[in-house]
Amino acid sequence: MSTSTQIGARAAVTPLGPRPGRRPGRRPVHAGRYAVMFPGLLFLAAFAIYPTIYSLVISLTKWRVTTGEEPRFVGLENYATLLADEAFWNSVRVTVVFVVFAVLIEFLLAFGLALLFFRNFPGDKVMRALILMPMLVAPVAVGLLARFSLEPTFGIVNQLLRAVGLPTTEFLGSPALALPTLIAIDVWQWTPFLFLILLAAMQGIPEEVIEASKLDGASWPRIIWHQFLPLLKYPILVGVLLRLIDSFRVYDIVFMTTRGGPVDATSTMSWQIYDVGFRSFTISYAAAYSWLLLILVLLVVNTLLRRMSSGTER
Amino acid sequence: MISFEGRGRRLTGVAVAALATTALLGGCAAGAPQAEGDDTTLNAIFLPAAWGTVVKEQLAPQYEAETGVKVNVELIARDAIHEKMATLFAGQDSSYDIFNLDYNWIPEFGQGGHLVPLDDVVEDPSDFLPLSLEVATWGDQLLGIPQTVHPAVLWYNSALYNDPETQAAYQEKTGDALTVPATMDEWFEQVKFFDGREFNGQTLSGWAAQAAKGFGNVHTWLSFAFSYDCQPFDADFTESTLSSPECIEATQRWADMMQYMPAGANELTYDNVTAAAQQGTIATAIQWSWGQFATDDPATSQTVGQWEIAPMPAGPGGTSAGHLAAWVISVSKYSTKVDEAKKFAAWLETKENDVFQAKNGAGDPVRISSYEADELLSETLPDTDVPRFRRLATTLEAMQSAQPRPRFAGEEIWETTLSTELSAISLGERSVEEGLKRADEAQNRNLSD
Repeated sequence: MSTSTQIGARAAVTPLGPRPGRRPGRRPVHAGRYAVMFPGLLFLAAFAIYPTIYSLVISLTKWRVTTGEEPRFVGLENYATLLADEAFWNSVRVTVVFVVFAVLIEFLLAFGLALLFFRNFPGDKVMRALILMPMLVAPVAVGLLARFSLEPTFGIVNQLLRAVGLPTTEFLGSPALALPTLIAIDVWQWTPFLFLILLAAMQGIPEEVIEASKLDGASWPRIIWHQFLPLLKYPILVGVLLRLIDSFRVYDIVFMTTRGGPVDATSTMSWQIYDVGFRSFTISYAAAYSWLLLILVLLVVNTLLRRMSSGTER
Repeated sequence: MISFEGRGRRLTGVAVAALATTALLGGCAAGAPQAEGDDTTLNAIFLPAAWGTVVKEQLAPQYEAETGVKVNVELIARDAIHEKMATLFAGQDSSYDIFNLDYNWIPEFGQGGHLVPLDDVVEDPSDFLPLSLEVATWGDQLLGIPQTVHPAVLWYNSALYNDPETQAAYQEKTGDALTVPATMDEWFEQVKFFDGREFNGQTLSGWAAQAAKGFGNVHTWLSFAFSYDCQPFDADFTESTLSSPECIEATQRWADMMQYMPAGANELTYDNVTAAAQQGTIATAIQWSWGQFATDDPATSQTVGQWEIAPMPAGPGGTSAGHLAAWVISVSKYSTKVDEAKKFAAWLETKENDVFQAKNGAGDPVRISSYEADELLSETLPDTDVPRFRRLATTLEAMQSAQPRPRFAGEEIWETTLSTELSAISLGERSVEEGLKRADEAQNRNLSD
């Protein structure tokens, strides 16, 4: 190594002196940067961190807000009561069934639709816009629409069924049909969301990959299985995760259609949390419920992420 | 890249951040009513039913014109009022001064000490229906001024009951004359007879009533329960007594009769029942007395002037007792304008305003004198001689025997618990005995908490 190179290297690691205009001995202060971050941090602390910690604390107490009494510390009693509560386990079952079927069906439909729209065809833009429309409607409005449409006597769906000679069906009033009906409503509204993500990702696949596969004699199913799916792995993961998280929180359509019934057939965890927290105002029990829902969501999401990442490492 | 390292820029950065923070926190208060900081503005929440609309659109502006006190009225759905009150009271929030309450919340908020006693502002309390005052009282204090009452009563289509062909068919089938049923057994016979019959081009269902899970099925069930002498609790609310023979008999009759409701019975809400009455697709119903006015609206009803009301058919012990619905006006303990709020609440229910509200479709009156008011009794439906307020005499009669929901602080939880079991019973998922036993067990757990 030449001397000149050594000198050059040394110079490169020599700490810089004070910049012109900065007084020596003072550390650079980036007050402006912190100041700009402050509102965001304050927002995060006020609306995310503090409520989260507060709800954890509340879940360890006994507190019914309307009594006017102060919360009383009871340790893990709320969690123990919940785990022995038949209604809690029913709500877990209902939620898991809802999430699994809704997200699975949405994914399959969205993937199929994305394949259909992958190549341009006449009128595809108009159809694409129409497909996306349900996603733009507020879930509360969707619930209301569903309630009126599926109403047994005057609802349009039953009127159509009767018109073609089929019997009146209690979509929301039958214990066997209520949950599948809610799943169908969710699928109708949120398939477009996954469709949008998958279509965007599919259109980003290089044409050369497809052409090369075709030249190798691969059929379309093989191209989809061996090329599309691996290349779409991360968009699929993001889309499915977002839908999973959202589905676990399903509340709006339950509130607007079945209110947890008939009996407890559609009593999801979020509905139960609302019922316990805002009807009977046992806030501490509702807080414990929320924490168990959070743990369940984290478990599922974490498992999914691990599986996907372990697949990548291999 | 933006840099704020210069002193001036640092200051600019801090100022921008401060402004942003202020805007952020300012936005947090966006949902709260505008505080005008004086005694001349009150903030109130009412139900978006006719009695809330009348207050918002007519009485509050009139009160402002007379007194200079402005009343901002927000109309909010029932469950949302309950939620809002509980959360505001928990925070001792003074944003709202006056609330419209379903009377079953009086024990809950009264026990918590969140409501102001109103005994001293009620004008001529002896003129109020005694039951309307009773349900607004907790701990010997009047915590709400009654605004409207509506006991559950039997609705029947008089055109159907007066139809000679129907009368003859009933006589032939049962050997009895077709008259308005006085007992549960008579009514059940008639419901079975009417169900599936054709009348005025419609296929009839025997009856309809609120039956949806939540509170609807409990409200209908209560009228059966009370008429069968079933009391859901012991006298001091220490034990749930839903498995008593009277409650089992009442529930069995209710469940049996559910078979004769329109399709989708388990989803029926108050509005669905009213719509069915307007369409003429039901023969009878259990509904609130006040709601009958909707069947007289030619814009929406095909049965104008046809629906009449009668007291609940009596159970085997001879008791006829409909379940009482009522709404009251209360003042928040955390209001900074309690005196003004009390004056307004009392003014809403002067004799004159009680009649005014009834005349404008805002529920049935709470004052006895209103039931004799010429202004109401002389009015007829347009182009007919059918009295518009023909229901008042029966309502007053029904109020003599009507019974309120169980009056204790955990009533809302009780309704939720019982509603789930009633839903299971009516759908055949559980037997009457099993459902009531489960409701008993769940409620006793709640009571022991």
